[in-house]
Amino acid sequence: MTIELGFMCAGDTNDRLETDGARSREGTCVSEGHLAAEDARQCVRCGLCLATCPSYRESLVETDSPRARVALVQALEEGRIDAPLDGFANAFYRCLLCGACTFTCPSGVAVDRVLELTRGDLADEGLLPPALSDLDDRISRYRNISAEPNEGRLIWADNLPSPPTGLGKKQAEVAYFVGCVGSFFPRSYKVPQSFVQIIDRAGVDYALLGGAEWCCGYPMFINGELESARDLMGHNVEAVRALGASKVVTTCPSCFYFWKQSYPAALGTGDLGIEVQHATEFLADLLEAGAVPLREVRKDVTYHDPCDLGRKGGVTEAPRRIIAQIPGVRLLEMAENRESSYCCGGGGNLETYAPELVKAVSRSRIQQVVDTGAGTVVSACQQCERTLASAARAERVRVRVQDITELVLEAMGRRGRCLSRWRLS
Amino acid sequence: MPESLATVVIAELEELLGSQSVLHAPVDRIAYSYDGTFAQHLPDVVVLPQTNEEVASVVRVAARHDVPILPRGMGSGLAGGTLPIRGGIVLSLTRMKRILEIDEENMTATAEAGIVTADLQAEVEKRGLFYPPDPSSIKQSTIGGNVACNAGGPRCLKYGVTGDYVMGMTVILADGRLLKTGGKAIKNVTGLNINQLFVGSEGTLGIITEVILRLISKPPHVRTALVQFPALETAGEAVHAVLKQGLVPATMELLDETAIECIEEAMHLGLPLDVEAILLIETDGPHEDVVIREIDAIAAICLETGASRVDVARSEEERADLWRARRSVSPALARRAPNKLGEDITVPRSAIPEAIRRIKAISARYGLPVVVFGHAGDGNLHPNVLFDRRDPEQLAKVEPMVGDIFQMALDLGGTLSGEHGIGTFKLPYVHAALGSVSVDIQRRIKQALDPQNILNPGKVLPEG
Ligand SMILES: Cc1cc2nc3c(=O)[nH]c(=O)nc-3n(C[C@H](O)[C@H](O)[C@H](O)COP(=O)(O)OP(=O)(O)OC[C@H]3O[C@@H](n4cnc5c(N)ncnc54)[C@H](O)[C@@H]3O)c2cc1C
Ligand code: SF4
Ligand code: SF4
Repeated sequence: MTIELGFMCAGDTNDRLETDGARSREGTCVSEGHLAAEDARQCVRCGLCLATCPSYRESLVETDSPRARVALVQALEEGRIDAPLDGFANAFYRCLLCGACTFTCPSGVAVDRVLELTRGDLADEGLLPPALSDLDDRISRYRNISAEPNEGRLIWADNLPSPPTGLGKKQAEVAYFVGCVGSFFPRSYKVPQSFVQIIDRAGVDYALLGGAEWCCGYPMFINGELESARDLMGHNVEAVRALGASKVVTTCPSCFYFWKQSYPAALGTGDLGIEVQHATEFLADLLEAGAVPLREVRKDVTYHDPCDLGRKGGVTEAPRRIIAQIPGVRLLEMAENRESSYCCGGGGNLETYAPELVKAVSRSRIQQVVDTGAGTVVSACQQCERTLASAARAERVRVRVQDITELVLEAMGRRGRCLSRWRLS
Repeated sequence: MPESLATVVIAELEELLGSQSVLHAPVDRIAYSYDGTFAQHLPDVVVLPQTNEEVASVVRVAARHDVPILPRGMGSGLAGGTLPIRGGIVLSLTRMKRILEIDEENMTATAEAGIVTADLQAEVEKRGLFYPPDPSSIKQSTIGGNVACNAGGPRCLKYGVTGDYVMGMTVILADGRLLKTGGKAIKNVTGLNINQLFVGSEGTLGIITEVILRLISKPPHVRTALVQFPALETAGEAVHAVLKQGLVPATMELLDETAIECIEEAMHLGLPLDVEAILLIETDGPHEDVVIREIDAIAAICLETGASRVDVARSEEERADLWRARRSVSPALARRAPNKLGEDITVPRSAIPEAIRRIKAISARYGLPVVVFGHAGDGNLHPNVLFDRRDPEQLAKVEPMVGDIFQMALDLGGTLSGEHGIGTFKLPYVHAALGSVSVDIQRRIKQALDPQNILNPGKVLPEG
C-alpha cells in the first residue's frame, strides 16, 4: 500500500510560486543568518498562536498570523518565495512584536527571534518600508524619534511646582532614563513629571541625563537596524557610567526591556555593571518601605500590562504591588492579564506603518477594560496610554487612562501637571 | 488553474467581494497553503466572504469556471482536509463569526460557521449554559470546521461529539443554492436526516455557513484527578475497569511517558516523570457530593488495577493547568523530533490495552518512537510517530508504520479516524475500512450533491 498524498512534505511538493526572477537560496535574506529558518523549522503548524496574536485576531487573515510569518520564513529558505516581492516585508512589519506568539507556542518556537531576525535581514536587503526607514534616519540624525534638538529633552521639567532635584546633577546613585516619548510628546510629559515628584518626595538621589540621553535604540532594532542602534547603546551606557550611577531606572517599558535584555549582549559586555529597573519595580520597593505617605483614593481601576514590561520584561507583580499600597483602590483584572495581556496596539512601530490595525487592536483592548467595570485603566507605559486614550476617545467610552505614577501622585494628594501644552502644541 | 483562467476568476471575485476580501499575492497563497500538518499546496486565490450571499456568489463563480473550491476554518485540521491539492479557491469562513442568537429558553445557540469554538463556548457559559464538545484545538478551530470534521474531545466520553449537538444548519450547495437543515425542534423525523449528512463531510458536500447548536446547563461541580501508572498497559485496563462498573466520568485522557516528558519540558507543572502513563480523569455533575463520591470510587478502582498514585486538583488553577497541559501535548512533541505524524484510530474500548501493546511492538519493529495519548475512555487513541523528514531512512519508515497502525486498528474491530477525518492522508485506507458497498453509496451521494466535483475534490472518498 502506498500513500501518495500523505507525504507532501514541505519542500517535497512541486508547488513553487512562479514569480519573476525568484532567486535561489543564496542571495535571499535568510541565507546570511540561517537562524531564523532554523527556529522556524520547529513549528508544527498547530495554529495555537493564532488565538493570542493581535494582528491575526483583528484582521482574521492567516497572512497576519505568527504561523504564516514562520511559514514564510520557511518558504524563503526553501526558495519558494522571494523576499523583495510585494507583501513579504509587509507581513513582518504588520506585526506588533508583542511576543504573545512566543509565549503561547507549545512547541517552543522562538517566534519573536524569527520575527526580529527577519526584520534585520529585510533591513539589510534594503527592504525596510519608507515610513520606517525615515524613522531610523531621524534617530541617527537627532538622537531621538521626534527630530527635535536633543537638548530639549527636559522641557517637561520646566513647570513643576519645584524643579526636580535630579536636574543638572553630575553624580548620583540612580540615573533616570526618561525615553524619547516622555521627553518629547507633550501628551506624555505627565509621566516623567509624576515620577520625579514621587522620587523627590522619597528623597532619592538621582540624576536626569538631559541632552546626554540618546534614544535607547529599540525603535531601530525592531526595524532591523541593530548595527545603527549599537552607537546609541554604547553612548547611553557611558553617560550613565559618567554619573557613577549603580542603577538606571526607566519609566518606558521598551527602554527597560532593551536595556535589560539586549544592551549587555549587543555591547558584548556580558554584564553592564549597572542594575536596570523599571520605575514600577523601583516604586514598589519605595512604597512598601513607607518612603512616601499615601492617602486613600476611592476608585476601581484595572491594570494594563505593557507587552515589553510584562510578558517580555517579566515584570507583572510590581505594578500590582504599587496599586495594593494605595488605600481604597480596588483592582479589577481584565480577562487577559499579566503574561497573557493583549497588546494595546502600540507595539512594533506599527503606528507609523499600519495605523488601521493599531486602531482595531486598541479598540479590542479598551473593550476588555470596559468589561471589567472599572472607571480607570492604569498602565505603566506612555505608549500604551497614548494608544488606549485614543481608543477610548474614538469609541466614546467613559474610561480614564492613567499612568501608574499619576495614580501614586494622586494618592500623595497632588495633581499631575501638564502645563507645557501651550509651549509646544 | 492555468494563469489565464486564474486572472479571470480573480477579477470576477474582486468584482463580487471587493479587493479587500480577495487575496492572491504570493504571501497570501503561502499562508493558505497548509493546515495543522506539515503538508502544503498552494491555492490560486483566497476569499473571505461575510454573508451567505457572498459565499453563494463565490460558489457560482467556481461552478461556472469548473474550478475547485475549498471551505476553510482556522486550518487546524490534522488530515490534510483543507489543502488545495488541485489549487483553486480557498474560501475562508473566519470573518463569518457572529453569534446570531442564544435562545436561553430552548437552550440553543445559532452562530455563523467561522466563530472560534472557544469564543462561542465562553459566550454561552456567561449565561450559565454549556456547549460540551471540547477538541484540544478549541481556541484555534471554528464551529464550521468542528462540524465538518465531527470533532470530539476529552469530554465527549460523557457528553458526545460535535455532531450530537448539531440541530440544524445553513449550507451553501455546489450550485449556489441555500439549504436549511433541521431546526430548533428536538424531535424531527420529517424527511431524511440531511443534517447529519453534512456532519463530518469535510467540505466535500457543501459549505456550512450557520449552525444551530443544542446547549445543556453547565454542571456546577467538577473534580479532576491525575492518576499515575507505572505500566502503560494497566492504564488501559483501568479505563476498562472503571467503565465496566457503570461509572461515566466526563473525561479519561491517557498520556504516555514521552508525552508527559514533552509537556513537562514545555510547562514545568511538576508532572511525574517516573511513570509510564497518566490518566486525567474528571467527574462532573449537579450534585457536589455525587461528584466527589464518583471520583473517590474511580480512584479506588485505579489503585486496585495498578495505579501507583492519585492526586485530585485542589483548585481551579491546578485543574486549568492540567487541561492546558493536555491541550499542548500534540505540539509539545516538536521538542522531541522535528516531525510527527499523528493518527487518530479508534478501537473498541476493551481492546485498548491490546492496541497499546501492538503500537509499542510496531514502534520497536521499525525503530521509530511512537507517542501514545488520547481519549482512552472512548477508545480513541492518537499514536504519533516521531521522525525527522530530512533523514530519508526515517522518512521511508513512516508510511509503512502508519499503514501497520491502521491495519492493527481495523484488525481489532476499530476504525481509521475517530475525530480528525480522512482528508487526504487516510484516503488509501478508506476502501479497507468501509468496504465497496459503502464507498459506492457515498460516491453517489457526492455525485448527487456536487456533480461537477468542485467542492474540496480529491478528499474523503477515493476517486475511481
Ligand atoms: C493541537 C491540535 C489539537 C487537536 N485536537 C483535536 C481534538 O481533540 N479533537 C478533534 O476532533 N480534533 C482535534 N484537532 C483537529 C482539528 O482541530 C479539528 O479537526 C477541527 O475541527 C478543525 O477545525 P478548523 O476550523 O481548523 O477547520 P479546517 O482545518 O480549516 O478544516 C478542516 C476540514 O473541514 C472543512 N471545513 C472547515 N470549515 C467548513 C465549513 N464551514 N463548511 C464545510 N466544511 C468546512 C475543510 O474543508 C476541511 O476539510 C486538533 C488539531 C490540533 C492542531
Ligand atoms: S504555536 Fe508554535 S508550533 Fe503552533 S503554529 Fe504557532 S509557532 Fe507553530
Ligand atoms: S509578536 Fe504579536 S503581533 Fe507579532 S506575530 Fe507574535 S503575537 Fe502576532
